[in-house]
Amino acid sequence: MIQVSNLTKTYGDLEALKGVSFEIQRGEIVGFLGPNGAGKSTTMKILTGFMPQTAGQVTVDGVDVNRDGLAVRRRIGYLPESTPLYPEMLVYDYLAYVATIRGIARGAIHNSIDRAAGLCGISNRAGHAIGTLSKGLKQRVGLAQALIHEPDILILDEPTSGLDPNQIVEIRNLVRELGRERTIILSTHNLPEVMATCTRMIIVHQGRVVADGTPAELQSREEERPRVRVVLRGAPEADAREALAALPGVDRVQNAMAAEDGALALELQAATGTDLRPLVYALAVERGWQLVELHRQVLDLEGIFRKLTQVV
Amino acid sequence: MTDALRNVSAIAKRELAFYFGSPIAYVAITVFLAICGVYLFVVYDFFNANQATIRPLIEQIPLFFILYIPAITMRLLSEEKRAGTIELLVTWPVTDTQIIVGKYLGALGILAVTLLMSLVFPLIVGSLGELDTGLVIGGYLGLFLVGAAYAAMGLLTSTWTQNQIIAFILAVLLCTFFYAIDTMIGSVWESARDAFAALSMKAHFANIARGVIDTRDLVFYATFIVVSLVCAVQSLQARNWK
Repeated sequence: MIQVSNLTKTYGDLEALKGVSFEIQRGEIVGFLGPNGAGKSTTMKILTGFMPQTAGQVTVDGVDVNRDGLAVRRRIGYLPESTPLYPEMLVYDYLAYVATIRGIARGAIHNSIDRAAGLCGISNRAGHAIGTLSKGLKQRVGLAQALIHEPDILILDEPTSGLDPNQIVEIRNLVRELGRERTIILSTHNLPEVMATCTRMIIVHQGRVVADGTPAELQSREEERPRVRVVLRGAPEADAREALAALPGVDRVQNAMAAEDGALALELQAATGTDLRPLVYALAVERGWQLVELHRQVLDLEGIFRKLTQVV
Repeated sequence: MTDALRNVSAIAKRELAFYFGSPIAYVAITVFLAICGVYLFVVYDFFNANQATIRPLIEQIPLFFILYIPAITMRLLSEEKRAGTIELLVTWPVTDTQIIVGKYLGALGILAVTLLMSLVFPLIVGSLGELDTGLVIGGYLGLFLVGAAYAAMGLLTSTWTQNQIIAFILAVLLCTFFYAIDTMIGSVWESARDAFAALSMKAHFANIARGVIDTRDLVFYATFIVVSLVCAVQSLQARNWK
């Protein structure tokens, strides 16, 4: 549905995007993930037609964003980073203004506002000035703005930044709810958010896509070369290191942090996908070492994220 | 109603609602009328001049407008840029031209209300003596054109910056420049005065204010406004420069 190919963007000397490509299918909730300055907002600004790319192409159902911007903009609901709103306007007046510009017929505006405000839980705030609302409620007004014309694509730039934990959960639930019938792209640098709401994640780093897949896929890719933590008692270090390194399938042996005194803690890096644990156990039994800990370490998403986005 | 008309009127209405939904418009108009009153009755000393004419005030208002109109237009786009609302505005299905025209019409609305309120002075003068209505009509048409030209200039400078004060100062400078270009150049280069009168708002205003409506003057103001607005649209589109 959304096709992004070889997108680049330079601001003066700064290369914000260096050839970003991805494709998004109808109905996906995609988490756009990356550290600050990775190029998330820039990509979203290009997708929504706020500014053009330096090179590359963005199409929505085959329609080029640059060639027929108005047609694409009609189908997209956008919530920019920091949720810019007009503080002096009443919530209802603001939504009516957006609805008018969105081309909703005058007679249908009231119903659209009711629906969008109801969905975002701000029906009882219609008569309040936007400037007097809390940050969480403003965020909901921004979301209602993005939803008023029932777009099939929602682009949300850091929808939960600056909210308290309760508000974050509420917005997440709302996004999941909305995602049942829409395609959603949301950017964040918050991992739990992606795991809680998204069906797919795209990690960008320094203007490039460094990972793309479901959270489970990314995890299993990392598990192809698992690490095993071994803690032994009564084993001379040199001996143990040598013996462990000699096991089939072991790539490297490293020191690890020992949890207790008098114990030897080591970390084994597997060369292949083989499970090293039975071999380690058999070795310990054979040599008469006490095996006090044997643990296969799974790199969680947070670890994957850190590994992929470390500045080299 | 076509899309363009609907968008332009929605944007213009929002601007008017902003000014009249807060004390801003009322305070500004009151201050403006007070200054006009002080000028007419104190500075010009209307009651001792013993002449039922509004002309001295009408000739003075373009100078007051140099401060008044930029104060109204300075926030039109600079505030959208500062608050970031511009990002939503331009990603809604509106064109940049519709945005500029809508904002401009909003500013003209304030101008029209201000001039309407200032009719109180011709009414006072008329109640005291014989008023030359032709002069009042010509004068007000001239004032509307001068105000509309300033508003277009103010809107243009407001697209250049996200700082309202900078937009205001630039608009005041440019309005002063185009109002009195012939006087300024004429004071150092006497023989060029008449040539530059063709570019001067003051010279074109003088004819209309005298009650002489010449198409050349109307074309001058129309051109000035259109060029300013086209530049404003271009400036808004500058974000598209790669």
